[in-house]
Amino acid sequence: MSASITLRAVTKSYSRGGETLRVLDELDLDMEGGMFYALMGPSGSGKTTLLNLVGGLDHSDSGMIRVGDEDINELSASELAQWRAENVGFVFQGFNLLPVLSARENVELPLLLAPLSKAQRRQQAERALELVGLKDRMNHKPRELSGGQEQRVAIARAIASDPKVILADEPTGDLDRDTADAVLEMLQQLNRELGKTILMVTHDPQAASYASKTIHLDKGKLGRIEENLSIAGSKHHGKES
Amino acid sequence: MPFRLLLRNLFGHPLRAILTVGSVTIAVFLLCILIAVSRGLDATVAQASSTRLWVQSSVSLFVSLPNKYASKIEATPGVEDVVRFQWFGGVFQDPSNFFAQFAVDPAKWKVSYPEIELIEGSMEDWQKSRTNCVIGEDLASRFGWKVGDRVPLIGTIFPRLDGSNWEFDVAAIYRSNSLSIDQMTMFFDFQYLRESQEQGAVGGPDGVGVFLTRLAPGSAADDIIAAIETEYENGPQAVRVTTEAEFQRQFITMLGSVPTLLASIGGGVLFAIFFAVLNTMLMAARERTRDIGILKALGFGNGKIGGMLIIESLLICSTGGAVGVFLAKSAERPLWSVISSQIPGFEISSTVLTLGLSLAVGLGILAGIAPALRARNLQPVAALRLGA
Repeated sequence: MSASITLRAVTKSYSRGGETLRVLDELDLDMEGGMFYALMGPSGSGKTTLLNLVGGLDHSDSGMIRVGDEDINELSASELAQWRAENVGFVFQGFNLLPVLSARENVELPLLLAPLSKAQRRQQAERALELVGLKDRMNHKPRELSGGQEQRVAIARAIASDPKVILADEPTGDLDRDTADAVLEMLQQLNRELGKTILMVTHDPQAASYASKTIHLDKGKLGRIEENLSIAGSKHHGKES
Repeated sequence: MPFRLLLRNLFGHPLRAILTVGSVTIAVFLLCILIAVSRGLDATVAQASSTRLWVQSSVSLFVSLPNKYASKIEATPGVEDVVRFQWFGGVFQDPSNFFAQFAVDPAKWKVSYPEIELIEGSMEDWQKSRTNCVIGEDLASRFGWKVGDRVPLIGTIFPRLDGSNWEFDVAAIYRSNSLSIDQMTMFFDFQYLRESQEQGAVGGPDGVGVFLTRLAPGSAADDIIAAIETEYENGPQAVRVTTEAEFQRQFITMLGSVPTLLASIGGGVLFAIFFAVLNTMLMAARERTRDIGILKALGFGNGKIGGMLIIESLLICSTGGAVGVFLAKSAERPLWSVISSQIPGFEISSTVLTLGLSLAVGLGILAGIAPALRARNLQPVAALRLGA
């Protein structure tokens, strides 16, 4: 399952110290469903803001954001929460796992919002953990896992409810090179094998090389969109720590 | 509802949880006791007899009236009996062993108090000797006294001039069927006191503290009050006549502002505990700002997240409340033995326990609402950024 993403004249500003800072400026952007996009640009160019808007974590000041068939700017806060639960999986730079829960319980969290029995939830969470190669660590708490393992649990959580879109904000920012490559290969695999639309914010050109296309943002405006002719991936099989 | 998450968060800081539960426990325990005291005072007044009037000096309860007033009051139409009551104020071994003693007219006293029954001994036994006395069931139980025991008392208002103790022989033990009459009092023959004074063996004021006036059935208390007060309007000693309920109320008022003070302290304690619990819950929610952001990002709505915070607060306060009411009920007997002479109606009833528990539950809900509202107003992005 995948979904295309369309932005039209999207503007977002923040007030800081009495000044209004326009982070996204009348942005138009089309992303095809089932593609893996890297979003690059200098700090302050609006990458994370764009990701948050597409994921329904924030509201734009104006413009239209369509994900699949849904114009998410039209949704109320509770509808947006429901929409996120059904359509979006997030992978954050700092992993954002709940420390008091085990790996399996963390992955089960989004499934609590789906009409599933306890056994179904458990089964689905275990399947997601198996997919990221961590089934044997499912009862470990986040503090008992390495950074790479934590990020893989976060990826398992992102895919557990089978969302159409996966949004990743610097998913390899806190990881060493080998671990980062393993995580990126996993995202690539999710895109290739499950057809998920992936939008990944990154500063790292090597991370971006795992995506099919790279979108460049600059000062809140769309720069260029590059097709990655030599996609990284299968050659990287470094062991993670 | 991620109930497991709620429980893990709750037990994530065991010391904090225990201290918060402990503070609610203390607050609910104190409140139960204070409510029971307040209700006990009300019950004591409410069960006072409407056929008994008390005649005292208009100056003060501590000013005696002439003994001869008894016959004139008894002659007032509508009055059936007059019983002399004199506060004795004796001390048994140590002032901390306080209990009330009254010198009364035995036969009339018994007739005037149909709510009292003698469960051991009889009126005849009492009246066999001047030194005999009747004691309440709880007083007997407190000091282990039984019929035939001799009770020595140090006279304070009426000291024996040779420095010896007063001695009373327990002839009977009474039980009260009314909350307005305690079971912690000793009654002895007024004549024992009067004769001892007349013999010059005892100091202290003469006269009578108060006259208990029993009304004939169907007589109008207001008319009799007016008649007696008018009779002594011009002296030699003006009197004040009150119903028993009013008289009981006077005793409560004699405690000064203590009941009000207790109620204020109780309210203050509850208020302070409320802010302590509120602060704890706000701190707990603030610590979990990132978690709230994660849950919001995953699609958990404000209702679910707010509900989780409210239930957490509710669990803490309900646990504290349950322990508090349990402790209050456990303390009922020991406390009752200490204060029943002043507040015979003191009881940690199911109503008191329900009130205490309800307050704890209410406290839990209120203390959970503030962090729930804060969580509701947090935007997911802001929550993730603040919690990072």
